[in-house]
Amino acid sequence: MLGFTLKRLLTALPTLLLVSLAVFALVRAVPGDPASIMLGDMATEASVADLRAQMGLDKPIVAQFGLWIMRVLGGDLGQSIQFAVPVRPLLLERFTVTAAVVVTAVAIAALIAVPAGLLAAWRQGSAWDLGVVATATLLMSVPSFWMGLLLLLVLGLQMGWLPVVGYVSIASDMKAGLIYLAMPVLTLVLVESGVLIRMARAAALEVLRLDYVAHARAKGLPEPVVLARHVLPNAFAPTWTLIGLVLGNLLGGIAVVETVFTLPGLGRLLVGAIFARDYPVIQGCMLFITFVYVLVNLFIDLLYPLFDPRVVAE
Amino acid sequence: MTPSWIARRSTLRRVGVVLGAVALAAVASSAAAQTLTYAMNQDIRSTNPGVNRDGNTDAVTLHMVEGLVGYDAKGVAAPLLARSVQLSPDGRTYTFKLRKGVKFHNGAEMSSADVLWSWNRYMDPKTQWRCTSEFDGRGAVKVEKVEAPDAETFVMTIDKPSALFLATLARFDCGGTAVLHKDSVGADGAWIKPVGTGPFKLDEWRRGEVVVMSRNASYQSLPGASDGMVGGKRPLVQTLRFLHVPDAATVKAGLLSGAIDIADVDASQVKELKATGKLAIVTAPTAQMHTIILQTKDPLLANKALRQAIAAALDTTQIVQAVSDGFGVPNNSVVPSASAYYTAVQKQGFKHDPEKARKLLREAGYKGETIKMLTNKRPIVPSFEVSVIAQAMLQSIGLNVEIENIEWATQLERYQKGNYQMQSFSYSARLDPALGYEAITGPKAKQPRKVWDNPQAQALLDKSMEVTAPAERQKLFDELHKMQIDEVPIIVLFNNVDFGAVAKRVKGYAPWFASTPRLWEVSVQSAP
Repeated sequence: MLGFTLKRLLTALPTLLLVSLAVFALVRAVPGDPASIMLGDMATEASVADLRAQMGLDKPIVAQFGLWIMRVLGGDLGQSIQFAVPVRPLLLERFTVTAAVVVTAVAIAALIAVPAGLLAAWRQGSAWDLGVVATATLLMSVPSFWMGLLLLLVLGLQMGWLPVVGYVSIASDMKAGLIYLAMPVLTLVLVESGVLIRMARAAALEVLRLDYVAHARAKGLPEPVVLARHVLPNAFAPTWTLIGLVLGNLLGGIAVVETVFTLPGLGRLLVGAIFARDYPVIQGCMLFITFVYVLVNLFIDLLYPLFDPRVVAE
Repeated sequence: MTPSWIARRSTLRRVGVVLGAVALAAVASSAAAQTLTYAMNQDIRSTNPGVNRDGNTDAVTLHMVEGLVGYDAKGVAAPLLARSVQLSPDGRTYTFKLRKGVKFHNGAEMSSADVLWSWNRYMDPKTQWRCTSEFDGRGAVKVEKVEAPDAETFVMTIDKPSALFLATLARFDCGGTAVLHKDSVGADGAWIKPVGTGPFKLDEWRRGEVVVMSRNASYQSLPGASDGMVGGKRPLVQTLRFLHVPDAATVKAGLLSGAIDIADVDASQVKELKATGKLAIVTAPTAQMHTIILQTKDPLLANKALRQAIAAALDTTQIVQAVSDGFGVPNNSVVPSASAYYTAVQKQGFKHDPEKARKLLREAGYKGETIKMLTNKRPIVPSFEVSVIAQAMLQSIGLNVEIENIEWATQLERYQKGNYQMQSFSYSARLDPALGYEAITGPKAKQPRKVWDNPQAQALLDKSMEVTAPAERQKLFDELHKMQIDEVPIIVLFNNVDFGAVAKRVKGYAPWFASTPRLWEVSVQSAP
């Protein structure tokens, strides 16, 4: 297990290096200059030149990359042009907000989706199955910003149950923090559970058709036992893979949801950095997101043998 | 049956609970009344005035810091921390007498030593002040000497007379050249937080979320009503919050729910928000300028007759009506319509005359060549809408205009490099007309961003930057305006109108000429 983990982490290194090189080149290929953006239309040629020199943007691109990569290897992601603070703590601060929302939402979505998909498959063709499939399809079709705005209007504005703007961190005030996270979490639960339900149902349908399920039933085992002991563990593995992919994808930033609910998360940081051409933050975010994706998938792979004994982590 | 003493105790308990709830509600209501929340579309970049900045940063920091002078409601620089400003007969030496009893947020009294320290810090290249180049000889003036002969006097000597010296000191992007206390920086000179003299002091900045300030109880306000950045500036609420809300729909929900007290809104939202009955809408014309700029060094647009044809083909009134929902007033002049220098001369703009436009087009020898107009879809400016309507008007006289919609950072870079034919472009507010003309006038060979490369116009502009007598400056601005209308390097369409959506419980808020929020002299009333 340890060897497998180390091997996976080592194979991630070239990926990270390639990503850093690609992102570095791409952000500089995009037109727009951070100094000009910062100074706006009131900038003079002299003030732009001053600022570019202060930012180190007057150096050759290769020299800039060399400096940056050396710093990264030392664990320093550089300094944000926009906020004039180190990138690493800024990233971590924003990531904790995104992670709190995403992990909670994906966990709840999985807890809803897996039983719903399993029961729908068990009663395939019934009204329950049709209802579950229809709901899942509807949820998959709804864009997250629309769902967010809908919840904002209904739960926030019409009912007045939840706050419509602002953010309180759980660390500073647990109760208020949970209240402020409720709507973004609910939005993601609704949007993401659709695809998980479909996957759970499809996987369960396949397993339900297998001979050992028929054998279990023939032995006279009650249906709840058949489902819990023989169908669920075998049908869960593909859903678990999908949960990993969804988790990795969402942890990379939920910019739209963060924008609608004014959450100071990683996605909004990245989008703001792109508009401001804040190169160190863009590069740091992309590298961090890649790293998180690798870690999440490694975590999923390490747990896979628990659900599917045929898989061995080696 | 319940014993009477139990019933009495139960009743007393209920009364107690009700009274407690009422008291709590009163406290909550009072606390809410002491907090004012303003929504801004982007987070600030720093709390360091004039250094790491943008428009929102300037607006927020100028609630905490003040300079020797500030802009009044007409855009004229007037004393703020200075009691008086005297100019020597040769127009080079400014003597600032400081106001007495002005205190910093840390309780220390302000003296000329603080002004001197602040100035030296700004001019130190390590500070990275955005306006260093304006005062070191690369810009309009060079500050040759600064002195603090006594605690109440600060003297600045510049290399030549300048009508813009005070106006530049007061500029928002220069952070108003704020006077700061040494405690604002650490022993190594690194920025900590603004310890200024403004009506509010910084409590907390949570990046990406909110800037929280509290009332400066020892603030010494100038007498009278609010007057731009000077005049009365009393902090009337205990807590001030600049909340970062990037999405317009969320701003609307926040306003309607009462979570946001004040926000800038788009013209298209005005009727709808007004109809809710929960909000008041306040408006003001600003100095922000929406324009179409023409690249006069472009082989095609170097032809004056072609530029004149473009101007004659555009119906400014119709464009302005359409893109501002009827709130904007057409203005073809670089002098803002709310400026003290806006007179009958500036009202004489381009005449919409399609027939004349076609004739000019023939004179220009135009053969259907493509003209590209750059634009962007930033929600805070009407650039895209302007470009679409202008394209239709120009096509109607036979001009082959194509729109190239690009992201703002890309457009700004192409503006800076002069790499375009036409642009739908918005200039941020410049309160003095000379600063407006300075933005567009200059030699393109040295300053590619400049729109109007005309030595005669440059000479008039230089003169307007030197002379201080308003009547003399008026003549120069009139002359510049007539030349601009004739040569058409730029087609100014209108000055932006700001719309503030304000909760009914808020009193005293008004947008103004400079297009930046002022939350002093603004109070919040408790619910009845």
